[in-house]
Amino acid sequence: MKLEAYRKAFEQLAAGLGDTPSRDSRRAQFERFAAVGFPSKREEDWRYTDLASLSEKQFALPADGGDALIPQALADSQQLVFVDGRFDAARSSTQQHIGNIATTETADDDGLAALNAAFASPGLDLQLAAGQVLAQPLHLLFLGSGSATGTMTHQRHRIVLGSGASASVILEFARDSADERLATHTLSIELGANASLRLYRLQRESAGATLLTRIDARLDRDSRLRALCLDAGGGFVRHDCNVTLAAPGCEAEVHGLYVPQPRAHVDNHTRIVHAAPHGRSREHFRGIVGERTRAVFSGKVVVQPGAQKTDSEQRIANLLLSKRAEVNAKPDLEIYADDVKCAHGATVGQLDETALAYLRSRGIDAATAKALLLRAFALEILDHVEFAPLRRHIEDILDFPDDPELDRLIEAIA
Amino acid sequence: MLNIKDLHATVDGKEILKGLSLTVNAGEVHAIMGPNGSGKSTLAHVLAGREGYSVTAGSVSFDGKDLLTLEPEARACEGVFLGFQYPVEIPGVSNLTLLKAAINARRKYRGGTEIEAGDFLAWIRDRAKIVKIDPKMLSRGVNEGFSGGEKKRNEILQMLILEPRLMILDETDSGLDIDALKVVSDGINTLRSPERATVLVTHYQRLLDYVQPDFVHVLARGRIVKSGGPELARELEEKGYGWLEAA
Ligand SMILES: Nc1ncnc2c1ncn2[C@@H]1O[C@H](COP(=O)(O)OP(=O)(O)O)[C@@H](O)[C@H]1O
Ligand SMILES: [Mg+2]
Repeated sequence: MKLEAYRKAFEQLAAGLGDTPSRDSRRAQFERFAAVGFPSKREEDWRYTDLASLSEKQFALPADGGDALIPQALADSQQLVFVDGRFDAARSSTQQHIGNIATTETADDDGLAALNAAFASPGLDLQLAAGQVLAQPLHLLFLGSGSATGTMTHQRHRIVLGSGASASVILEFARDSADERLATHTLSIELGANASLRLYRLQRESAGATLLTRIDARLDRDSRLRALCLDAGGGFVRHDCNVTLAAPGCEAEVHGLYVPQPRAHVDNHTRIVHAAPHGRSREHFRGIVGERTRAVFSGKVVVQPGAQKTDSEQRIANLLLSKRAEVNAKPDLEIYADDVKCAHGATVGQLDETALAYLRSRGIDAATAKALLLRAFALEILDHVEFAPLRRHIEDILDFPDDPELDRLIEAIA
Repeated sequence: MLNIKDLHATVDGKEILKGLSLTVNAGEVHAIMGPNGSGKSTLAHVLAGREGYSVTAGSVSFDGKDLLTLEPEARACEGVFLGFQYPVEIPGVSNLTLLKAAINARRKYRGGTEIEAGDFLAWIRDRAKIVKIDPKMLSRGVNEGFSGGEKKRNEILQMLILEPRLMILDETDSGLDIDALKVVSDGINTLRSPERATVLVTHYQRLLDYVQPDFVHVLARGRIVKSGGPELARELEEKGYGWLEAA
């Protein structure tokens, strides 16, 4: 029977829940998943990311008590550590903002959303009252233990900011063993009037990992979302990011940088819907794609009727480092209002050999010269990272030749 | 110092250098002149080790070492500097980043330690004065938004900072007004010393009024067809290259 292992895992979960409403609503979600299954390659949105093989997988739920190596905490931030999908209070610097998000409603009838809802374990539940300001960024770390081979984890998260509230949240996915694992995460975001959220999604999963994340954000009047997505891992990854500018005067920035490792697959699907006038959206994605790696970007921008004075810009640039690299970048604009400013562009290029030769002629070895040029290409995205400890962390992940001392010098001299 | 013997080189399968020989001793300044397309830049790039240029015959030794087997970066660390005819713009890599990386590469090559931030900045400021470049400009990307003249002055600045032993300057004087030409030649003369040698590729007598050459060569059809003293440059200025091409 198809999806058999998933049913087995679900029955195991359900047995532990007893006769509760939660179990019933989870079961309803599971049945929906069982009926619909994983999205098919035949669906336009899943053309390049084939999940068919997931149906046959025998993922189990992870056992309790998994242990993982906890990376050094970022300065000036609060850590929330999850190991194998479970909150690890002892390794976290705060116990706040963790919750079990109701599993009753899902955004639509996507099988993945149902799967996630059926199995969801507690995740981030950040709710700020009007005017509340989160003092330090929240850094969520999703790690995997060595004993969680062949397991799956599903988590639901929520961020609700009251009017004028502001927060900064970092989601970092870093399961670092080479066996097969599946993780799904859904995050729903509601920004009240004038609220402001900075959201970073960092991914450095290892080969063998399948990571499917989805963000649905709804922006109320004059609120501001600044999101940045970094993919540096070697896994099979799909990110969805859906943003609705639901009231006038909203601003959404959705930026991304993908530098997948060899044989990785990274698919970014974004959808920005301007549903109200005077909205501004910016979307800059850059990719550095090498040997036998596939990167997919699909960016949809919808300007609904009445969303006049929308100002939207989408720019995608890719650097192909190998003939055996594959990039599918697709901008997709649907505009139903007439008084709008919408720009978009996509480019694919190679490393500038002339620049490389120039740097080498000054004595800089080929590997360093190349790294300097890759960093230069990525800079437009990296410069959006305003939280300095995170910026440093990202440069480390990417193995870029950054030099803080020189940066200070440059600033001093400029 | 530099010994080029019967050098043949091809670009895209086309032979450009066809048996070029030239000896440059420490302390000397050589000017290489010649019609467009005769292979002057090709010679400069072959010496610097640029990919895409293949040497099919001949030899080049630098202080007794076989230059042709070295990677471009190793040649630079050995003390060869090429001032590009068309300096490259590299947005996102600041001039200071390039300079610091280049200085440290040289130090590492010689088994030394990295330069201290304070020493680096002091050295940059000192050298920038000679070529009248505002150090502020160096926080920008390499040559980013620089005018033609600024790019050429920046080449000289890099040279002053890196202090090479063999300076090959490919038409560094082209497109400069008289003030900039003066700055560039001051820079070249600053480094002129009995331990260093200079090869100036140029079209014009003008530069040679400021940087007096010991030898002048004419490169045509992929070889040196005539060599002489400074008077040869004046002769070329008057008569052009026609009389030599026919020869
Ligand atoms: N990258 C290249 N690809 C193909 N041909 C080239 C290239 N560079 C130079 N050439 C050719 O080599 C010849 C010599 O060029 P060059 O060395 O630039 O001459 P010069 O500097 O003396 O004007 C010219 O015929 C030019 O067209
Ligand atoms: Mg030339």
